[in-house]
Amino acid sequence: MPTISRRKFLAASAVGTAALAVGPYVSFDAWAKAQNESQETKVTPTLCGACDNWCAINVHTKGDRVWKAEGIPGAGKNLGGVCAKGHGFLHELYNPDRIRGPLKRVGPDKFEAISWEQAFKEIGEKTLAIKEKHGPQSIFWLTHPQANHSLNGRFLHALGSSNMFSHGSTCFMPRNVGWWLTVGGKPEMDLEHSRMIVLLGRNPAGGLNLGSLREISRARSNGARMVVVDPRFNESASLADRWLRIRPGTDLALVLALSHVIIEEGRWQKEFVEKYTEGFAEFAAEVKKYTPAWAQEKTGISAAEIVQLARELAGYAPRVCVHRGYHGAMGTQYKNSLQLVRAVGCLSGLLGNFNQPGGLYFPPKPKLGKLDPKDYPKPPEVPDHMSDGSGDPDRYPLVPAGNGIAHAIPELALKGELKAGFVYHSNPIRTNPNPARVIAGYKKLELLVSFDYVLSETATIAHYILPEAFYLESDDVVYTSHSVRSAQVSIRQPVVKPLYDTKPLFEILKGMAGNLGIGEYFKFTLEEYNRASLAPLHVTLERLKKEGVIDTGSRWEPGPPKLKTPSGKLEMVSSILKDYGLPAIPTWEEPLVMPDPKDPHSFRLIHGKQAHHTHARTGNQPYLTEITTLNDWARVWIHPDRAKLLGLRDGDCMSITSTVGKGRARCRITEGIHPDCIFLPSGYGMFSRHFKFGKKHGQGGYGFGISYNDFLPTYFDPVLGHTMGNEIIVRVEKSTTRGA
Amino acid sequence: MPHYGIAIDTTKCIGCHACRVACQNQNGLAYDQEFNRIVERERGRYPSFAKEFIPLQCNHCENAPCQRVCPTGATYTTKEGVVLVNPKTCVGCKYCVEACPYKMRMIDHHKGIVVKCVMCIDLVRQGGIPACVSTCPTQVRIFGDLDDPNSEISRFVATHRAQPLRADLDTRPRIFYKRS
Amino acid sequence: MPENAWGWLIVTYLFLAGAGSGAFLSAVACDLLAPDWSKALARAGSLAAGPLITIGTSCLVFDLEAGLWEPWRQAYLVFNPTSMITWGVIILSGFIPVAFLYGLALNGITVIGKYFAKYVRTLEIVGSVFAVATAGYTGVLIAVVNGVPFWNTPLMPVLFLASAMSTGLAVAMIGAALIDVSTIKTLSNFALGHVIFLAVEAGVLMLLIFMSLTRSVEAATSAQMLISGALSPYFWGLVVVIGVAVPLVLSVVEYYEYGEMPKLLVVGADVCVLIGGMSLRALIIYSGTPPLIV
Ligand SMILES: Nc1nc2c(c(=O)[nH]1)N[C@H]1C(S)=C(S)[C@@H](COP(=O)(O)OP(=O)(O)OC[C@H]3O[C@@H](n4cnc5c(=O)[nH]c(N)nc54)[C@H](O)[C@@H]3O)O[C@H]1N2
Ligand SMILES: Nc1nc2c(c(=O)[nH]1)N[C@H]1C(S)=C(S)[C@@H](COP(=O)(O)OP(=O)(O)OC[C@H]3O[C@@H](n4cnc5c(=O)[nH]c(N)nc54)[C@H](O)[C@@H]3O)O[C@H]1N2
Ligand code: SF4
Ligand code: SF4
Ligand code: SF4
Ligand code: SF4
Ligand code: SF4
Ligand SMILES: [Mo]
Repeated sequence: MPTISRRKFLAASAVGTAALAVGPYVSFDAWAKAQNESQETKVTPTLCGACDNWCAINVHTKGDRVWKAEGIPGAGKNLGGVCAKGHGFLHELYNPDRIRGPLKRVGPDKFEAISWEQAFKEIGEKTLAIKEKHGPQSIFWLTHPQANHSLNGRFLHALGSSNMFSHGSTCFMPRNVGWWLTVGGKPEMDLEHSRMIVLLGRNPAGGLNLGSLREISRARSNGARMVVVDPRFNESASLADRWLRIRPGTDLALVLALSHVIIEEGRWQKEFVEKYTEGFAEFAAEVKKYTPAWAQEKTGISAAEIVQLARELAGYAPRVCVHRGYHGAMGTQYKNSLQLVRAVGCLSGLLGNFNQPGGLYFPPKPKLGKLDPKDYPKPPEVPDHMSDGSGDPDRYPLVPAGNGIAHAIPELALKGELKAGFVYHSNPIRTNPNPARVIAGYKKLELLVSFDYVLSETATIAHYILPEAFYLESDDVVYTSHSVRSAQVSIRQPVVKPLYDTKPLFEILKGMAGNLGIGEYFKFTLEEYNRASLAPLHVTLERLKKEGVIDTGSRWEPGPPKLKTPSGKLEMVSSILKDYGLPAIPTWEEPLVMPDPKDPHSFRLIHGKQAHHTHARTGNQPYLTEITTLNDWARVWIHPDRAKLLGLRDGDCMSITSTVGKGRARCRITEGIHPDCIFLPSGYGMFSRHFKFGKKHGQGGYGFGISYNDFLPTYFDPVLGHTMGNEIIVRVEKSTTRGA
Repeated sequence: MPHYGIAIDTTKCIGCHACRVACQNQNGLAYDQEFNRIVERERGRYPSFAKEFIPLQCNHCENAPCQRVCPTGATYTTKEGVVLVNPKTCVGCKYCVEACPYKMRMIDHHKGIVVKCVMCIDLVRQGGIPACVSTCPTQVRIFGDLDDPNSEISRFVATHRAQPLRADLDTRPRIFYKRS
Repeated sequence: MPENAWGWLIVTYLFLAGAGSGAFLSAVACDLLAPDWSKALARAGSLAAGPLITIGTSCLVFDLEAGLWEPWRQAYLVFNPTSMITWGVIILSGFIPVAFLYGLALNGITVIGKYFAKYVRTLEIVGSVFAVATAGYTGVLIAVVNGVPFWNTPLMPVLFLASAMSTGLAVAMIGAALIDVSTIKTLSNFALGHVIFLAVEAGVLMLLIFMSLTRSVEAATSAQMLISGALSPYFWGLVVVIGVAVPLVLSVVEYYEYGEMPKLLVVGADVCVLIGGMSLRALIIYSGTPPLIV
C-alpha cells in the first residue's frame, strides 16, 4: 500500500487543518529568504577536493554561496566530467560538523578552542623537546600526497627527519613498484584508441577516473571490444562485452596462462619483443608450465575462455590495453599483487603495445621551476631510508623512501621509535587495517597533530587540530597531474572566503616553522613559490588562475618506446629483483589465504569503491548518503547458492567474523559475485561520534555500516610491506539482530 | 524552433549518480529531492548474467497527461517542446502527479507546488546543454534537436532505433532509450 | 520512490461530494414521486446535500498547498477545460448554491426559503442535473488518469454514481429518522432504492475487479491488492460485507417486513452503506499503482 505522507495524516485530522494554516507561513518565509539571496553569479576555475583525482572544475557561486560545478573540458584527468561527489561535496562546505578553528584536546574526546598563535607555540615547544630527547627520526609526517606534497617534505626535512609516509601501503604500492621494475615508471593508457580493453582488478566506474571513462566510452562507440575480469560484476562490467568471474586472488594465473597461449601459438609481436624487451627466452621458458588447463583450476575461468581471450588480444595487438591497475588486484589487495603487475607488464610486452596507439605510454610532464636556493636555502639532506625500513637495502629496499609503509606507524609508535606525528589529509584510524591496533599505536604518540576539516576518527585522538581551509576556500601550489596526453598545469584557488577561522596549509606550515627554528626555509609566500614553479613554462600565475588548466606544449606522440629501466628495455626478467635475490621472472604465487571449500560459512572478504563515496570519508554528506539510502547500497554482496546454504533471504542481516573483527551487515543476494567471496563496499563504517549530520539524513554519519579494515589483520607483505587488503577469511552466519 | 529531446544509452550507464547530483545543484534541490532517478536491473545467471542501469527523468511528453489534467494550466509546454510547471500558478492539487504514468513529478512541500525536470531550459537557452548530459562520465545522454534530422540525437535515435518508454501509453515522450 | 500524491482529504472529498449529490437526488425523488410517504426524508436529504458537498469541496481545497496558502491562486483552477478538476470546480460552484437554496426552499426556512418556495420545481430540475454531474464527475476525475491503469476505465463513473446514490439515500434516511422517528415505518419503501443501487454497485464492482485482472499487469496488481493482497481485509470486510452484503440483506428484509424491522437495524443498514461508501473510495485511491516503465 502506498505510503501516505505525514502531511496527509495531519491534514486528515482536525488538528491538521490548523497545522496547515500555520505551516505555510513558516516554510514560505524560508522560501522567500532563499529567493532574496543575491543572485549575482561568478565562475571560479579550481580543483575538486572530494577525492584524490583533483578534477578540474569551474565552480559557480550565487552571491556568496557556492552553487554548482562544471568540468573543465580540456583537463587531462577528467575531460570535462564531474562525478556525484564532485557535485555533492560542494555542500560539505556548509556541513555543520566542520571544525571552526584550532582545537586542543583536553581530555578523551574533549576539545577546547585555542588561538593559532597558542597552537603554533605549543606545538613548536613540544616538537622541539621530542626532537631533543629522541632525535629527528622520531618525528613523522603522514600525508595523502597532493600538489603541496613538496611543501610538506620541505617542512619535515627541515626538521631533519626522513619519515615521510604516504598512503601507498594501503593503496597502490605493488602497482607502482611493479611498473617501475618492468618499464621504469607508471604508464598511462591510450584507452580511447584501443581496439580491445581488458580491465583486470580495476574498476574506473567505481574507483573513478573520469577521463578514463570518457575514453572508454568513446572507444566503445568506435567498436572497441572490452572484457572485465573481476570476482564481481563491477560497474565497469556494465560497459563491457564480457565479464570473467575470476576466483579472487588468482589473476596472476590467468595472465601467465594468457602469455603461455600467446607464446605457444607464436602470436607475440616479434619485432617489438626483439627490439624493446629483455629476457623473453627466460619468460617463455617459465610460462611453459602455465597451461590454460592449469589456470582453469586456479581461476575457475574455463581453458577455452582463456585461449579465446589470448587470441583476441593477440589479434588486436598492438592496439590493445590491459589496464595498468590501481588499488584493486594490482594494488595492495593480495600477496601476489607485485607478481601480477609484473606479469601484466610482460604480457603487454608480448602484445607490443608500449608507446603505441591504443596502448601504454609515459605521459609528458611539465618541468616546474624552483625557488632560487641562493635566496631560499634548501633544507639539509636527510637519511635515505625510513624508520620502517623503506629504502633500507636489508629490509624494504623496493619501498621508496617518501612513501614508506603507513600502516607500520602504529607498530613503530608502540616500539617507541616514533614519538611525534603530523597527519595531513589522511585518516589512518579508519583507512588502515585493524583499527584497534592503529588506535593503540597512535595513542602512544607524545604529540599528534591533525589538519583535518572535521573531527575524523584520527583527528579525535590528536593533541592538536589545526583545521586547513576547505578546498573551496584554499590556495594551493601548481598542480601537474592533469598531464595525461599533454603536459598541463592547473591550480586550486579559493572560490569563497573561508567560513571559519581556518588557514591554507602553506600558512599553517609557515606558522609552525616559525616556532620550530626552521622559519628560514619558509621565507617566501605561496605566490612567490608558484611564480617560481611557472617561470620556465612562460605561464603567468594570473593566466593560470583565470583559465584553471593550461597546456604547456608537449603532447604524447606514439613511436619507439623510451623505457627507463636499467636495461632501457621492458624487463621480463627484472635486473633489480635479481640483484635483491627476489623472483626476477613472473612466477605463480599462491594468495596468502584461501577460504575453506568444505565450510559453507567460510568466505574471502573483498572490497571496492562505489562511485558516490570516497574511501570512508564522504559518508557524512547527505547529498551522497542519500544515494546509498535510495539504492540500499551498503549491503554486502553474496552469491545466491551460498546464501541458500546459510538460509539467507535478500536483505537479511549477516554476522561477519574474522580473526580480528566482528560486524553485522545486511546482504544483497546477487548472481554478480563469485561464490567464494562476499563483497563489502569500502565507503562505510565511519565511527567518529562527531559525524552527526549524515546520521540525521539516511544511511550515513557515525556508526553506519562496516569497513573491511575492521576484519583485516595487520599484515606486511614480505617484499613491499603493503596491507594485502583482500587476504581476509571471514565466517558468515545469518544474524537475527539488525545491521546496515 | 527546435524541439529538444534527450537520447539515453543505457548500455553505457554505470549508475554513478553524477547526473542526479548535478541536477540537484543546477536546480537548487534539497538532498532528498530528485528530477532524475537511476534504476538498477539484474538478469540471467553467470556466464550470461547482465546488469542494466536505467536513468529516468521527465519524458517531456508531446501528449502529456500531466498537462491535460492540470486545472490551472500551470503545466504547459514551451515552444521548444519542454514541459514545465509555472510556480506562480500551480496550486498544488497534485492531480498531475497522479496522472504522470512515469511518476516523474515531485511535490515540493515547501513551495507547495509540483516540480519536475525542466530540461535545464535556462542553460539551454543560453546555448548550454543540460547538467545531467554534460556531467556524465560515459556520455550516456545525448541532448539535441529532434526536428533536425542531422543532429547527433536524431542520428543516434535513427541508427539505434532508440525507443521511448511505454510508447503504448501514447504519451509520445521526447526521451529515447537505447536498451541493452 | 515517488510518494503517492492523494490521501484522505481527496478520499473524503470524493465520498462527501457523492453522498451529497445522492442525498439531493433522494430528496428530489421523494418530493416528486412520494411526497405523502415521508416528507421527513425529502427534508433531510435537501438539508444535508448543501453542507455535505461544501465540506467535501473544502477537503479538496485543504489538500491544495500553494493554492491554500495563497488562496487567490484558486482562481486559476478553472483555466483548463481539459482538466476534470476545472469541470469539478465549475459544477460544484453551481451546485452548492442551488443545493442550499433547495434546502431552504423545501423547508421554507428564512425569508429566502419562503421566497424561493415557488421555485422548488426549477431548483429540483437544475439541481438534479448538477447532482448527477457531480456524482459522475468524481468517478471521471480518476477514470481519466492514465497514470493509474486501475482507475483508467469507464466503469469508474458508473461505480461512483451507484455508490453516490446509495450513500446519499442512506444519509437522507438517517436524517429522516432523526427528524421524525415515526417515519421509520414508511422508510421501508425506500429500502427498495438501496436494494437496487447496492445491487448495481456490487455488479459494477465485480466487473471492475474481473476486468482489471485481465486488462493490464498494473490494473491486475491493484485488483490483487484488494482481493488477496495487503488491502484485502479492508476490501472484503468494509466494502463487500459491511458496505454491500449486510445492508443489501437488511434492505430486502426491511422492504418485505414493511416497517416491522427494529428501528436500529433500519438505521444500521444505512450506517453500513456509508462505511462501505467511504471505504470503497479510500481503497480505490490507495490501491492505485503506476505503470511499469522499465
Ligand atoms: N568514487 C571513488 N573513486 C575513487 C576513489 C574513491 O574513494 N571513490 N579513490 C581513488 C583511489 S585513491 C584509488 S586507489 C582508486 C581505486 O580504484 P580501484 O583500483 O578500481 O579500486 P577498488 O574499487 O578497490 O578495486 C577494483 C576492483 O577490484 C576487484 N577485485 C577484488 N579482488 C579482485 C581479484 O582478486 N581479482 C580481480 N580481477 N579483481 C578483484 C573489486 O571487486 C573491485 O571491483 O579509485 C580512485 N577513485
Ligand atoms: N575504509 C577504507 N579504507 C581504505 C580505503 C577505503 O576505500 N575504505 N581505500 C584505501 C585507499 S585506495 C586509499 S588511497 C587510502 C586513503 O586513505 P587516507 O590516505 O587516510 O585518505 P582519506 O581516507 O581520503 O582521508 C582523508 C582525510 O583528510 C580529510 N580531509 C578531507 N578534505 C580535506 C582538506 O581539504 N584538508 C585537510 N587537511 N583534510 C581533509 C578527511 O576528512 C579525511 O579524514 O585508504 C585505503 N584504505
Ligand atoms: S572524481 Fe569526482 S570527486 Fe574525485 S576529483 Fe573528480 S569530481 Fe571530484
Ligand atoms: S551520470 Fe551517466 S553514467 Fe552516471 S548514472 Fe547518470 S547517466 Fe549513468
Ligand atoms: S513524463 Fe510525466 S511529467 Fe513528464 S511530461 Fe510526461 S507525463 Fe508529464
Ligand atoms: S499540482 Fe500544480 S501543476 Fe499539478 S495539476 Fe495541480 S496545479 Fe497543475
Ligand atoms: S535535464 Fe536538467 S532538469 Fe532535467 S534531469 Fe537533466 S539536469 Fe535535471
Ligand atoms: Mo588509493
